[in-house]
Amino acid sequence: MILFAVSVIVFSLMHSVPGGPFDERKGRLPAAAKANILKKYGLDQPVWKQYMNYMSHALRFDFGIPYQRPHTTVAKLIGKSWLITVQVGLTTIFFAFSIGIILGIYAAYHQNTWIDNFVTFISSLGVTVPNFVVAMWLILIFAVHYNWVPMGGWGSSGQCLFGKYFCTDWILPVVAYAIAPMSLVARYTRASVVEVMGEEYVRTARAKGLNESKVMRRHVFRNAQIPMITALGTEIPNLITGSIFIESTFRINGLGKYFVTSTLNRDYPMIMATFLLVALLWGIIYLLTDIAYTLIDPRIRLGGSSIN
Amino acid sequence: MSVPLQVHRTFLEDAFRRFAQNRLALIGLVLVLLIIFFAVFAHFLAPFSYEKARFDRVLLMPFQHPEHPLGTDEVGRDYLSRLIYGARTSLIVSLSVQGISLLIGLPVGAIAGYFGGKFDYVICRVIDIMTAFPALLFTILIISVLGGGLGTIVIALSLTSWIIIARITRAQVLSLRELEYCIAARSIGASEWRILMRHLLPNAMSPILIAVSFGIPAVIFAEAGLSFLGLGVNDPIASWGKMVGVSNAYIRVYWHLALFPTLAIAITMLGFSFLGDGLRDALDPKQKIQK
Repeated sequence: MILFAVSVIVFSLMHSVPGGPFDERKGRLPAAAKANILKKYGLDQPVWKQYMNYMSHALRFDFGIPYQRPHTTVAKLIGKSWLITVQVGLTTIFFAFSIGIILGIYAAYHQNTWIDNFVTFISSLGVTVPNFVVAMWLILIFAVHYNWVPMGGWGSSGQCLFGKYFCTDWILPVVAYAIAPMSLVARYTRASVVEVMGEEYVRTARAKGLNESKVMRRHVFRNAQIPMITALGTEIPNLITGSIFIESTFRINGLGKYFVTSTLNRDYPMIMATFLLVALLWGIIYLLTDIAYTLIDPRIRLGGSSIN
Repeated sequence: MSVPLQVHRTFLEDAFRRFAQNRLALIGLVLVLLIIFFAVFAHFLAPFSYEKARFDRVLLMPFQHPEHPLGTDEVGRDYLSRLIYGARTSLIVSLSVQGISLLIGLPVGAIAGYFGGKFDYVICRVIDIMTAFPALLFTILIISVLGGGLGTIVIALSLTSWIIIARITRAQVLSLRELEYCIAARSIGASEWRILMRHLLPNAMSPILIAVSFGIPAVIFAEAGLSFLGLGVNDPIASWGKMVGVSNAYIRVYWHLALFPTLAIAITMLGFSFLGDGLRDALDPKQKIQK
């Protein structure tokens, strides 16, 4: 339903643009040739027909041909760039969540000490400062001043850990990209761990002589997971938009960068396809978050089906 | 033993006291006031005009020329002046977007929440669709349709951010509508309009104000981000985001082009979010206890 609405909105917006991709800015085309081109891309038909035509193909993963690169298909281009974006995203999520959770638990455990204050300070910096600003600082320090790592690219530096993976040019994008979600995760983790540590059952567990690591693992961490999953669910979609900035800063040929170039070039098929894909992904992530809740907390599963 | 005096304070006095005791919030306030000061008096503070290019003074480093303490950019415009005018651009965009969002979101949310019915249904679906999607992508889409420029950015960002205000207003009105004082007001014959204006909206104001105070840095970020990508304000106008985006090409040698605008963005964002945090803690003490 939402997918349908999004596709209609995007499609009608795209077609209300004054000026098409085949405007005669660079010299006039003969009328017949122009009609031919328009016919080839189906642009001579009424808008609703173009829409129906498009959607029937899109359901079969045929998104047409990108105007900016006529020798390939949208599906191929997205398939290729998608892989890079997923690599960037997954590496980032991995580091952001593991470091964020560790920092959060550490801060919660040493509540109101300098460690806690330090983590809180870093995480509030990380949440507020935009990731492209962080990216520029990292480039200035580590790529320009010290020249330790390359300034941009993805897997093209040649110095890699496994074949084409974990190269030196992965470091800066991943760090710049991970700081915001890491800070958020650290914040959520700290808050939920602090809350759970104040609960009666944790005191009971300590009172009956359970050792500290067991209390943390069995009682505190397990119950503190629920808010963390919420953070995960809301952060992953934000990573999609974040990747636009990271990919343009570090010149990574991922989906985010193609999204910007295709909006600049008014490449309807590319824009449509990326939008549909993101809307679909967004929906799937929300669904997965709900499922993850029920897996972690049996109370929600028993509580009925009113989770929306 | 002295018995503490029972001092009567209004809610606003209470909120003000809580705010004044919050060190971070005060730092935020000072930063924000500083930026507003730069934005308002940019004419007097900036040594040069933001658009005057001097091709005999292209890409000067900081302190290389006595007249340009922060150097010049790629077409020879004084960088300090452009930074000062950048504050003005950020504030114009963010304040007008939040103003428009309030103008649309407040009445729409209040009417939807209070009267319900078909209007509420439509508004809810609109909110659903808009939140089913990253707002930034939607903004980029609208800009690609309408073209760049200061006015377009304000429109595009308002189109996505009124939703937040409308949603909060609706939720507030919906939850306040059934409270005793509303029923009491209705029972003594107050008109629906009067209940909405005199009883509901003033009580719904704190969360809305908090949303606005967090909305301003969000818009500053969005404007800087769009300009950074080349989808933002058009050229002679100074925008921090655009300055960062352009500097990316010169970063190997001319580090000052990247450093100063990023610092300006970071300081502005920090100032506004500290202020927002402080306002939230001051206006909504319940939330802080929960935290």
